[in-house]
Amino acid sequence: MATYDGFFNALGLRDWCDRDAQSGPVSMADLMARAQGGGAGAPDSARSLWDLPFPSLDALAASCSAIPRSRDLTVGLERGFLNIRDALRVVVDPLTQPLSWMLRDALWLMTNTPWWIMIPLLLAVSWLVARSMRVVGLVALFIAILAFIDHYDAAMQTLAIIFVCAFICVLLGVPIGIAMSRNDRLQRSVTPVLDMLQTLPPFVYLIPLIFLFSVTEPKLYGIAIILYAIVPVIRLTDLGIRLVDKDVIEAADAFGMTRRQKLFRVQIPLALPNIMAGVNQTIMMSLAMVVIASLVAAPGLGVLVLRGIRNLELGTGLVAGLGIVLLAIMLDRVTKAALARIDTSRKQQ
Amino acid sequence: MTDSIEPPVKVSIRNLYKIFGPDPKAALEKHRAGMGKPELLKTTRHVLGLSDINVDIHEGRITVIMGLSGSGKSTLIRHLNRLIEPTAGEIMVDGEDILAWNDARLRRLRRETMSMVFQKFALLPHRTVLENAGMALATRGIRRSEWEPEANRWLRRVDLGGNGHQYPHELSGGMQQRVGLARALTSNSDIMLMDEAFSALDPLIRTDMQDLLIELQAELKKTIVFITHDLDEALKLADHLVILKDGAIVQQGEPQHILLNPAASYIEDFVADINRARVLRVRSIMMPGEADGEISGEVEADDNLESVIALSGGTLEPRYRVTKDGKTVGIVEMPMIMRALVPRRSQTGHARAV
Repeated sequence: MATYDGFFNALGLRDWCDRDAQSGPVSMADLMARAQGGGAGAPDSARSLWDLPFPSLDALAASCSAIPRSRDLTVGLERGFLNIRDALRVVVDPLTQPLSWMLRDALWLMTNTPWWIMIPLLLAVSWLVARSMRVVGLVALFIAILAFIDHYDAAMQTLAIIFVCAFICVLLGVPIGIAMSRNDRLQRSVTPVLDMLQTLPPFVYLIPLIFLFSVTEPKLYGIAIILYAIVPVIRLTDLGIRLVDKDVIEAADAFGMTRRQKLFRVQIPLALPNIMAGVNQTIMMSLAMVVIASLVAAPGLGVLVLRGIRNLELGTGLVAGLGIVLLAIMLDRVTKAALARIDTSRKQQ
Repeated sequence: MTDSIEPPVKVSIRNLYKIFGPDPKAALEKHRAGMGKPELLKTTRHVLGLSDINVDIHEGRITVIMGLSGSGKSTLIRHLNRLIEPTAGEIMVDGEDILAWNDARLRRLRRETMSMVFQKFALLPHRTVLENAGMALATRGIRRSEWEPEANRWLRRVDLGGNGHQYPHELSGGMQQRVGLARALTSNSDIMLMDEAFSALDPLIRTDMQDLLIELQAELKKTIVFITHDLDEALKLADHLVILKDGAIVQQGEPQHILLNPAASYIEDFVADINRARVLRVRSIMMPGEADGEISGEVEADDNLESVIALSGGTLEPRYRVTKDGKTVGIVEMPMIMRALVPRRSQTGHARAV
């Protein structure tokens, strides 16, 4: 019949193979072969060695129906996920509910506050973080441009999502990074997870989340953004603390600092430039993800980009895309200015 | 010293061994059975850090531990506050074995009994000079309003009164190390550990710092353990000199005594290049007792030979009465001084010369 029949016969597994054999055709190829009236088995013997199929699951299953097909792998994965979904929901749903609230509230707050309050407020925040009139001027100009072309609401929605997600990334990422820097075993086990989170294509984050949560829930895209953007802040916190001058750590030990004192008085302050670089990266990555997350109902400029693609509205998509660039430059300049400020006031010699 | 009673022992190191590697205990057995440092490294891949160290550190004295790089001197000083744990041996501070202490008790030792000055200063770069000086007290949980006057007092004492608000990177190397010194002094500990504290400084600044330390020590009478690779510095500061080589003590004692009676050819080579006339003191070579006969003048017991030669105008006839605190303690003749200027060979070295 099929290529590997002889192999199973030789091993004496024929009975096991045919124990629960199905008679019906299972794959499209089988149906086609049948429709063409070709008798199974006859052409097989004529096949040369050139056509020998790789002993894949499908090829083996053709000879021995007890062996699962490749399709069973994807089906099994899906079934397995759906089976644990309810249990997972019971745990994860309440845990992540605050994220939904935060996102909803932030979106409501930033879009419902009148622009003549919101814009000065954002400028004040930029000043507090960056302490540079040039940067504040840049932010003012860019927001004015976005508002002038009536993209103000979408930009505020995007900003609101980024603020909430970046805040949670820092809130979770810094402690994880600190724990990793103090424990080599933890570092060894977390690093592959971080590698995976970083290399997984951004779209893939959305797939299991769609099954897990309702698409109307903001936390769906919130979790996707956080998972994607949290990596740099963890990595750079870990790195920053490990890079703190060994001599200074020794001095801290020699003067009898406890681990806690050492952490808060020496390690974190000295790692701060690195941690801030991580925060900058995290904000940039959440901006990248917030566009993709518009596929699962994240509001903001990403929706306009998506509309540009779906409806072939070239202008809409390009303008929204450039709006995202303006946001990115704004966020980058503000956080970089903060980083530069820390670097000069805490310069190591 | 011949002219004073030995002060009590503050820190005592007994049979201290340190071996670096995955299984130091097993390597220690091999070393005790007679395996030397190079063989130990070759056969077991363990590094012999310290071998059978016995030192008594007396209260109120400067004990200098000297050796070339790799001799284990920095390893040794880090055992005193247990920044490094020994493989075997005892370290007694005020009669208590600090190796038996738990973390909390050890922290108290580091906070209150011992302070440390580092070669690379190791100041906190994100804190001001004043905050660095007050670091030890702040670590103990003392409020800023209470440690600030104390830190300011010591900063003034090291001539940095006006620099309290600056950051360490704004200061020169010498000034940074004075902050390091002020930090150690502010902690008010009895014992100060100084790990090559002046080695990273320019020669002139280094001399200034040595003078400052001697001046402070005359006033404060701390127990100081000073590490250096510089023999001139060691001879200038030491009340008690310990010379390390390959993790073992070659000779220890009063520096003048070591200079006049080197115990090994290693030390002879070491002391060959120094200016003996400037380092040797009259008290080390004089004939103790009453000064009889014809006397040309008086010299202080702590004068160096150079000043006596200058006084004599280069002639060999003069005899001087040696005084200390106004009392006559001995007599010195010029030929004695001339003999002392020629390096004496040790037993082994002598045999080789003959």
